[in-house]
Amino acid sequence: MLSMDRDARAAIREFVLDRLAPTSGRADIGDEDDLIDSGVIDSLGIFQLVAFLEERFGIAIGDEEITPENFGSVMAIERLVAARSR
Amino acid sequence: MAYLLQQLLTESVHRHPDKPAVRARGRSLTYGELDLRSSQLARLLRDRGIERGDRVGLFFPKAVESVVAMLGVLKAGAVYVPLDPHAPARRVAAIAEDCGVRAVVTTAERLATLPPLELACVLLVSGEPRGAGGVTQIPQIPQIPQIPWSALETFPAAAPPESAIESDLAYILYTSGSTGQPKGVMLTHRNALTFVDWCAATFRVGPDDRLSNHAPLHFDLSVFDVYNTLAAGATVSLIHEEITVFPQRLAALMEDHGITVWYSVPSALVYLLLHGDLAARDLDRLRLILFAGEVFPMKYLRQLADLLPRAELYNLYGPTETNVCTYHRVDRWKLAGQNRLPIGRACANTEVVALDADGRPVPAGGTGELFVRGPSVTPGYWGDPEKSGRALVDDPRPPRRGDRLYRTGDLVTPDEHGEYLFLGRRDSQVKSRGYRIELGDVEAALYAHPAVAEAAVVAVPDDDVGSRLRAFVALRAGETVTAGALQAHCAGRVPRYMVPERIEVRTELPRTSTGKTDRTRLAADARLMEAA
Repeated sequence: MLSMDRDARAAIREFVLDRLAPTSGRADIGDEDDLIDSGVIDSLGIFQLVAFLEERFGIAIGDEEITPENFGSVMAIERLVAARSR
Repeated sequence: MAYLLQQLLTESVHRHPDKPAVRARGRSLTYGELDLRSSQLARLLRDRGIERGDRVGLFFPKAVESVVAMLGVLKAGAVYVPLDPHAPARRVAAIAEDCGVRAVVTTAERLATLPPLELACVLLVSGEPRGAGGVTQIPQIPQIPQIPWSALETFPAAAPPESAIESDLAYILYTSGSTGQPKGVMLTHRNALTFVDWCAATFRVGPDDRLSNHAPLHFDLSVFDVYNTLAAGATVSLIHEEITVFPQRLAALMEDHGITVWYSVPSALVYLLLHGDLAARDLDRLRLILFAGEVFPMKYLRQLADLLPRAELYNLYGPTETNVCTYHRVDRWKLAGQNRLPIGRACANTEVVALDADGRPVPAGGTGELFVRGPSVTPGYWGDPEKSGRALVDDPRPPRRGDRLYRTGDLVTPDEHGEYLFLGRRDSQVKSRGYRIELGDVEAALYAHPAVAEAAVVAVPDDDVGSRLRAFVALRAGETVTAGALQAHCAGRVPRYMVPERIEVRTELPRTSTGKTDRTRLAADARLMEAA
């Protein structure tokens, strides 16, 4: 399970860093760093991210789950994915 | 009768000093507090040597202090310049330097990102919820006095005597410029009041109304939200940037705050419609929905109209240079058969006319460029008489009294009822999520990268956000750079909505028979990329 978590986190980090961070001008993002106030995730980016997570992890994320609690940091996203993959 | 924007506050303060005027981030300010603090802020600015006509930058995420700062600057006879708190530091710096701001209201985090400016003072709004700029250390700039917000209490409660007149500038709003330098649209008190007066008569905003403010404060839609609220003695909820990311939070806020009047770009409404679960919300109080800034896709407009049967819907049109100059009330009965929504007819005290290439008015059904005349029209761009001269032209129609017309660059056709239909642009300006983007501005950012030999940016039409930017780049011989690195480079120069979502690196860009970059071909390629 631990190794799966590590893979999941790497994949999430990669998407956030490669796809979302560049258009926000932020380079270094830690697992617990805020993604919302910093503009890494904006109203367009959030749905790119949701689409990625759904495809990569074979899960469905409802609109009601798109909240700051679930998407505030890489850690939070990972927790959401882990909870849904169980 | 008010001839200065801050005078809109006078009667509302007198009538209900204890009523909330502004709500934001779980805090609120009454009319009495708003009046007091803004007067003290004006005193502080004057005390620090800020004079009539000086520019003051407002550089912090939305908070109740935003409206205090706007009014305080106006009460000092100065001009406020809202700076996008999410724009790259370089862009913000270019704007602050362009208009020569003499004071800044900001947070410690944002101050650290500003270049050295010749400032008379910095007023610090208390910290942001989380270190949003990634900087927590308070910068020490010894020459510039930094004054904490709490110091406002020590200043006199009465505003300095009014010296401004209605043709003085109230604020400057920066928009995308075609050469990579943002341009500052100057707006006078009269410009803004012409719009607010028309709104008051048309939309009958009253003291029981609760307005939302979805648009960023550097975007002219916010002028409606803030000043119509103050004029009516209503309450405005400033929706901070982070909430706009989460559609269900946004929908919840509309219900919880009992919003009665909503004004935003269509893409924000489409976003709510598709992901906000509006049907689960009690939005019966929402009586008026206004939208502007881009074309509202008809299929979504019909859905919205069905979902909110009690709300009146209006399509407003107008560039920042004129604020709203035409409007169209959506007729629910006609929506099913309409394939395009008119931008409508001129607002009160405003004339609009479609002229052909020879400066002659176009008959119904013809195509012309839309020109605007009246007291809502900007006096021009800050520090750029040349650009101003190109945008503000002599009225070519008889009797040629030297009246100025603003040329919008928008191609329109008047219908048989005197309503206008928007057809497109005569230049390479596009809209994405309601933001106005000059493709040349984005290309200039790409060209600033040393490896880039050639760059072309195209806009792919999109129902959800208006259009999406795609870039094609050819590199200099021997250079290698990834699309991601180019995006990161752009993100350091232009606001996020201007960063191409996809960049394709090619060995060369296609050319037309005359040797120009073949943009038609690239636009077609970009559409194929979408479909893939």
